[in-house]
Amino acid sequence: MAANNPAGVDKEQAFGMAATEMEYRVELFNRLAQTCFNKCVDKRYKEAELNMGENSCIDRCVSKYWQVNGMIGQMLSAGGRPPM
Amino acid sequence: MASKTNSENGSKTEVPNPSSSEAKQQQQQPQIQGIRMPTIEEFRAQEFWNNCGVRSVASGITGGGFGFFMGMLLGALDNPVMQETMTGRQQLVHNAKQMARRSWGSAKAFAVMGLIYSGVECVVEKGRAKHDTTNTVIAGCVTGGAMSARGGPKAACAGCAGFAAFSVLIDKYFDRHN
Repeated sequence: MAANNPAGVDKEQAFGMAATEMEYRVELFNRLAQTCFNKCVDKRYKEAELNMGENSCIDRCVSKYWQVNGMIGQMLSAGGRPPM
Repeated sequence: MASKTNSENGSKTEVPNPSSSEAKQQQQQPQIQGIRMPTIEEFRAQEFWNNCGVRSVASGITGGGFGFFMGMLLGALDNPVMQETMTGRQQLVHNAKQMARRSWGSAKAFAVMGLIYSGVECVVEKGRAKHDTTNTVIAGCVTGGAMSARGGPKAACAGCAGFAAFSVLIDKYFDRHN
């Protein structure tokens, strides 16, 4: 696909795709951090560092979020419509 | 802010200096520093101290030290040495032996207590993934029950409840001062 297009359009497309991908990644990271922070960290701050419980909670939250995100991405890219 | 210093420049000669330094301070104050990312050494240190085995061993060593000094103190105060029966040097030797015996026993007891409490609290907190007082209650109950398990099930229950209450009190005391 890349060999057929002239060089200028390919670069534009590549930059556009890279920018979109970057926006997607940044949005994903922000949503992930916000969700797991709201779920795991108690708002009454007592100390600056993360406890062990908060650490393991964040580990689990990020792992689940990432897995579900990957699964949904695969489902959306593979089939046209999600099976509802 | 700039017009104020200009108008004060014409009236007095000493006023501009404190106001210009104040302007410099006000320029220097809102310098917000960016978020400092932790270095890899800090990550490794955090990972090291979050390990349950490391935590329990460190707590056991701390408990052992505390028990050692407390045992020495109590051993020194234990039996008042009689002046009439032994000479001075024998009194010192006897006293030192008593202190050593008492401190070693006390150090062992406190080391085991610290080890069990810290290990159980670490495992429970990692499993529940929450920072709560329930962790201290469970850890205190297991520690008290393990330490008084020799007296039978009733003594184990009493030890569990007593040590759990004690550890909750200690935790609340430290939290209040934080």
